[in-house]
Amino acid sequence: MSSLIELDNIGKFYGNIIALQGVTTEVHAGEVTCVLGDNGAGKSTFIKILAGVHQHDEGVMKLEGEDVSFGSPREALDRGIAAVYQDLAMVPLMSVWRNFFLGAEPTKGTWPLRWVDVAKAKSVAKAELAQMGIDIRDTEQPVGTLSGGERQSVAIARAVHFGAKVLILDEPTSALGVKQSGVVLKYTLAARDRGLGVIFITHNPHHAYPVGDRFMILNRGKSMGNFAKADLPRDELVRMMAGGAELDQLTHELESSERGGGGG
Amino acid sequence: MSDATVAAAPADSDDERLAYRGVFQRLLVRPEIGAIIGAAAIWAFFWAVAEEFGKAGGILPVLAVASTLGIMAVAVSLLMIGGEFDLSSGAATGTLGIVTILLVKDVGELGGAGLSLWIAIPLSFIVALGLGFFNGTMVERTGLPSFIVTLATFFILRGFKLGFSKLIIDNITVGRIDEGHGYDFWVKIFGSTWVRNDHQFEARDAVYTIGLLGGITLIVLAVYELNYLRKERFNPAGLGIFVAGLAGLVAGIAVMHAGDSTGSNWIAGAIIAVSGLAAATGLATWRYELQPTEAISMPSGAAAEVGGGVALVALGFLSAWQLDQGMDGGIALGQDSVLDLVGFLRWPLVVFGGLLASYAAFVKSGAKIGGDLNEQLHAIVRLLTVGGATAFGVYSFMFMATEEGLRAILFGALVVAGFAVLAIAAHTAGRTSRTAKSIVQLVIAASTVALAFFIRNQSGTPKFRTEVFTILLVVAMVIVGWALTNARFTSRRVQDADADKLGSRMAIGGLLAGFVGLGIKLLFTTDAEIAAGIPRAQFRVEFLWFVGVTALATFVLGRTKFGSWIFAVGGNKDAARQIGVPAARTKTQLFMIVSVAAWLVGLLLAFRLNTLQSGTGNGLEFEYIIAAVVGGTFLTGGYGSAFGASIGAFIMAMSKQGIPAARWNSDWRFAFLGVILLAAVIANNFIRTKAEASR
Repeated sequence: MSSLIELDNIGKFYGNIIALQGVTTEVHAGEVTCVLGDNGAGKSTFIKILAGVHQHDEGVMKLEGEDVSFGSPREALDRGIAAVYQDLAMVPLMSVWRNFFLGAEPTKGTWPLRWVDVAKAKSVAKAELAQMGIDIRDTEQPVGTLSGGERQSVAIARAVHFGAKVLILDEPTSALGVKQSGVVLKYTLAARDRGLGVIFITHNPHHAYPVGDRFMILNRGKSMGNFAKADLPRDELVRMMAGGAELDQLTHELESSERGGGGG
Repeated sequence: MSDATVAAAPADSDDERLAYRGVFQRLLVRPEIGAIIGAAAIWAFFWAVAEEFGKAGGILPVLAVASTLGIMAVAVSLLMIGGEFDLSSGAATGTLGIVTILLVKDVGELGGAGLSLWIAIPLSFIVALGLGFFNGTMVERTGLPSFIVTLATFFILRGFKLGFSKLIIDNITVGRIDEGHGYDFWVKIFGSTWVRNDHQFEARDAVYTIGLLGGITLIVLAVYELNYLRKERFNPAGLGIFVAGLAGLVAGIAVMHAGDSTGSNWIAGAIIAVSGLAAATGLATWRYELQPTEAISMPSGAAAEVGGGVALVALGFLSAWQLDQGMDGGIALGQDSVLDLVGFLRWPLVVFGGLLASYAAFVKSGAKIGGDLNEQLHAIVRLLTVGGATAFGVYSFMFMATEEGLRAILFGALVVAGFAVLAIAAHTAGRTSRTAKSIVQLVIAASTVALAFFIRNQSGTPKFRTEVFTILLVVAMVIVGWALTNARFTSRRVQDADADKLGSRMAIGGLLAGFVGLGIKLLFTTDAEIAAGIPRAQFRVEFLWFVGVTALATFVLGRTKFGSWIFAVGGNKDAARQIGVPAARTKTQLFMIVSVAAWLVGLLLAFRLNTLQSGTGNGLEFEYIIAAVVGGTFLTGGYGSAFGASIGAFIMAMSKQGIPAARWNSDWRFAFLGVILLAAVIANNFIRTKAEASR
């Protein structure tokens, strides 16, 4: 299968801080690529490079075989890369249909008499959500009245509708309960089934394993390798996540005791 | 919900799990409904104490004040929905007016630029755009709160106004715009007036009556259509009764118009009442589904509430009547004792109000005597604050009010409380039985009739008296009709797109007809009125600008991309930017909209007054913000309505004009405005919570 996105030895520095180094991975259409890592592992930097918030400082990023580097989120969006952030997904006081079409409202008429085709926007939003299996009672209802899982789901459906090829989900389940997380995971798979390449970022291996086709584990800004689901039993993934954290701790302690010893 | 069902719902049909919202519930979720109710209440209140408020001569000045205030309030509400403030907006109105005048003043020893208005007006427009751009860019670039940035702009503008006025013309009064070249043309756009006394239209009252009654009829029809369940097959017999009833109504109104004696008026009134009820039942029989009959069972709670409500209304009548006896030098109290009475009532009311509020606060706090010390201290602080604030409020109100105002307040408060209790009773009764609800509604109608007669006999303002009498009787008739049909016909519990469309069209048509009637009445006089020597009243083009700006802003907010973006940048700027909304540009454009509105208002003021003081507009920015908030706009951004802001402007204008008109001590008007703002915000908050709960 040809890859949508190829990353080769991507690195990012903030001054003298190495946020990300030597990360190599591939994202395929119709697959969920899970990026796992503990806090500070470089997950956010990784997303921000893909979504156009930051630019990488070394390595090569290829979108459908073409070398790219996005200057802004809008540019990434225009190229079909949509990011859904945990807390930045929606405007709570606005209705579902307005949120769904925000920034890309369907209009009719010609300027200056150009207005939003509200009836169309509502019916398209409802239909599109229904197609993803998201059942919204009333598209006029403010997004703030939806549950956390429903909000994420609407954001996913929006990205799918606007022709995203790559969907980046940033910790979509971290603030949710078990049931709500299940809802979001279901829509993640629905997006995958519609042929999108999904990048699912999480620190929870139990959420990643059921939906992921491929896994990349980040640790302290470095990739610990790419694995296909077949090569990686669930226990191994959990162990690597947990082991990674232990290793961190150990390295940290060793380093500090070494420095302490050198001083004395 | 969504995790249980995966089945795709059909796209454009309505969801069957969506709880159906009745016509009244749907009305209540609008952000501006609180402001509309408030505006009507304040208008009725001032009308009752100051007769000018019922006349064109008293309304037109309110419109004039509301117009310039409203144009700014609408623009400021857009900015506030976008999550920013502009404290320079008041000073900007004066600045842009003065800039225009200085540009047209003759070149001379101390003159301005001496430009034609054809150049000066576009130039000052560009200055306005620049001012807004400056505010917006400063806020966006520095990331400072707009409160601070525009406060700085406010002082800069204030200094510029004074400094340049003195520097250029050596005077703080800047005039005159009518010396400018091209004045004759531009005055038509910014300064036209319509002098009511110069325009006679003999059929005016007929048009007014037809428009108003036609409007009321259409709105009643709309409510029926929106509320009741349609029959599968319409009953033609009902249609016959309905048409006959309507004919009877027309005949009755004709008789009332033709006749002049009290006797013929009574006959006409009876005809109208009977045919109105016939029309209501006929309409329901024709179109709507009957419901199975049920036994009448009045819950005891509802019965007690009915008793309490009626008692409160009666108490209102009694106290107003008693005070009136005092005023007229009647039996109860002598003329001199009126002031004594006010003085006497003042302290008991202060104490009573304070104690009542303290008690309520204590009960609400849930603290117990002998309970936790900390909790008790907390309760005591609360008690003192609430009680003290209420006592102070009552005290200041008593000082503001004249005897007449006091009487109106006392009467109004008791009667409104009584009717509110009756409305609650109807709700309580409705939970058990529809017939019981209808009976309570009949009691409400009877109380309305009593209120109508009481006001006719007791009010000191003749025009208010007769018109309110008519209005209340019509209202009572509508309530009786509603109670009769409500007991027998089925309310709709499901969506019906056809009925909703027809209903809302009729409602809009009804409103339009009413407004056309009212407009004709405000714009024209009759020969008879001229002969009676009514005072000159004029209507300024500013009001048309106001209506235009409100309509445009409402359209932009509700129906354009830019409107969505305004809500988005105010509601969650980061999310909006993330999804591709140009957030910084949207906000800058909003600042520019406000300064262009200030330019418009500056020109309107310049053409109205011909000369502007250098202080023009200073300090008004808070009035714009108050009007926007009273109209339902959030101070925190992301929610609100332009139409609401325009209603808020009306409320402000009525308060400003009404206090002197009611001959109250106008030194207290700011206290009044403060109370209105607080009441509006609390009411809005309450309504919003209710509305959210009903979603």
